[in-house]
Amino acid sequence: MGYLNNSSVTVDAILTLKGRELLAKGGNAFNITQFAIGDDEVDYTLWNPNHPLGTNFYGTIIENLPITEAIPDETQALKYKLVSLPKQTTNLPIVTVGNSSIVLQGPGSSDTISPNTANIQGGNANLGYTVILSDSTVADIQVTTALSNPGTLPTTPRFIGDNEDAQSVAVAGFEFKVFAKTLIVASKTATITIIGNETGGATTINLTVNKATTANLNLTS
Amino acid sequence: MENMKTIKQLKRQQRLGISPPSAPTLAGTAPALGTIDTSNVDAGTLQLAQQLANQIVAEQQQIQILAASGRVFTRFDAVNDIIDNQTETVTAGLWSGNIGSLTTYFTSSTQTNSQRRYYVDTFDGDPSVTGSAVQFALAYGNANGSGSSNYGNADSPSKAIYAQYRQLLLNANDTRFTTAGSGSTDSIYVVNFKRNRLKERLDAGNFELPLAPMSASADTNGTGSNVEITGSNPSFGTIRLIDDSSISTGTVTESGRVFNIVSGSINNGVFSSSDPVYYGLAYPDYGTLVLDGKMLDQKLQFQTNTTSNSEGNNHFRLFHSVSGSAATASLGFQARNSEKVASTHYFVRVKNAEYNFSNNPSYVTGSDGLINQSTFIGDPKAYITTVGLYNNAQELLAVAKLSKPLLKSFQREALIRVKLDF
Repeated sequence: MGYLNNSSVTVDAILTLKGRELLAKGGNAFNITQFAIGDDEVDYTLWNPNHPLGTNFYGTIIENLPITEAIPDETQALKYKLVSLPKQTTNLPIVTVGNSSIVLQGPGSSDTISPNTANIQGGNANLGYTVILSDSTVADIQVTTALSNPGTLPTTPRFIGDNEDAQSVAVAGFEFKVFAKTLIVASKTATITIIGNETGGATTINLTVNKATTANLNLTS
Repeated sequence: MENMKTIKQLKRQQRLGISPPSAPTLAGTAPALGTIDTSNVDAGTLQLAQQLANQIVAEQQQIQILAASGRVFTRFDAVNDIIDNQTETVTAGLWSGNIGSLTTYFTSSTQTNSQRRYYVDTFDGDPSVTGSAVQFALAYGNANGSGSSNYGNADSPSKAIYAQYRQLLLNANDTRFTTAGSGSTDSIYVVNFKRNRLKERLDAGNFELPLAPMSASADTNGTGSNVEITGSNPSFGTIRLIDDSSISTGTVTESGRVFNIVSGSINNGVFSSSDPVYYGLAYPDYGTLVLDGKMLDQKLQFQTNTTSNSEGNNHFRLFHSVSGSAATASLGFQARNSEKVASTHYFVRVKNAEYNFSNNPSYVTGSDGLINQSTFIGDPKAYITTVGLYNNAQELLAVAKLSKPLLKSFQREALIRVKLDF
């Protein structure tokens, strides 16, 4: 007689820094209402359909992987979330913005970022996108088409540069505009990461802001 | 006519989005479909209604699946998925490393002389070795200040210690500790567990303090070289002390529960339970044991120094007695701590059609999101390693990791119970 497969798994959770912060506020600030599932440390290229022992062993190398402990930094957990899609899906929803880079010629110049979600109808139509500008000294970013419930910003990855002022900034919405800052010394580059708040998935584009010159600097009083 | 009414009502409920509580209960004993009276409906109609109800449930499940399509978040059902305020009493070995029995005892030379006149800290290992830590402290108190020198300024440590524990442990108007062994006593020995080892409280019924008898020729100063335990003296054998919580509910005072300290062992219970030998009082909520000096003198030849203005260092007698029990009788000081932990349980239910794809970059190839593994197309698979708990603003508040990746596919469902302690 064998043992039944116990499919119920019990795991202990730890509070993230944000969770502790909200718990300390008291009242209803700490209110868990939904869950997501991640597979951050899994490398699916390890899946081996040519395994000599057959189908049951295709994923053995992944299933035997020891998992690291949870860390309290919420910006480093669940970077890659599992997503529900129809069974016959061949292409996952991907976030696109039309161009792979933005170049702003000088102070005040701007460009619009209009994310779309390919491979799924109505993807991210409700919760929109989160846009993260990696270096706030290079440019400003504004929401031009806001969410129905503006002010909420999902947990996002955080990038901290060498300069403590050069921290990332994040906003959430449907459409965005990026404005160049005045760069006196040299041109600078940064990255803009756009994350789908419903489907997950992200894309990153490069941003270049050119150094201010007499040609592109607006000197009128 | 009644049959048509039933079916029309079902269809109307479907339009309004009202789902039957459970399709199989329609024809049976449960009060299905609210106000519908099925007592006058024939079996054929009920079967027809059953089929329709099943169809409604199936359609709604399909709607739910479609609604979940392209989503990475699933909302908890607050009633069925979240069980909060689960209080659990957790006990563990009290000593460092959650060890339940302490057999090595060290004092530290870093404790200053002025401190040592009042108490002695007891370590589990050589204090100079990294990792050793204070486990408990021992002190001696005398209501009249006897057994300690006042060094000419009427500052008696033993009097201060007695007054301190009287203030902490006795009711407001009580002036003396009273034990069932000797009645009112002016002479007490105190075992005070380190707070971080104690957590919330001492686990009543699960400590066992071994004490070895002292040498009859003990020095008047407890730190003297002549303060020794006896060898083999059948009249004064090593004893073990426990609380009497196994035979008594104790009493509740202003300092919480109080039990008698009696001779006995954890394994065998109170020695001579019909006529126990009482040695003192246990205050598990304070993590303090108060031993009656008179009883220790009588049963273990402590010969407590009760001379006025005399440096007796009596608490070192207790230290020698505890540590000596390990040397002569291989007995350990056993104790457990106890704390109440409040938890919330979240039941993460992942249905077969959900979460079978991943946003993991290794899951796709190229720039158009094509699934990398061709065997996943038509039979997608993903692995669960992490569960994130979010609020409405999609802020990640808690994270749980599985011990190993859990395969998820259209042929598998997963139920993960996430326990969050506060």
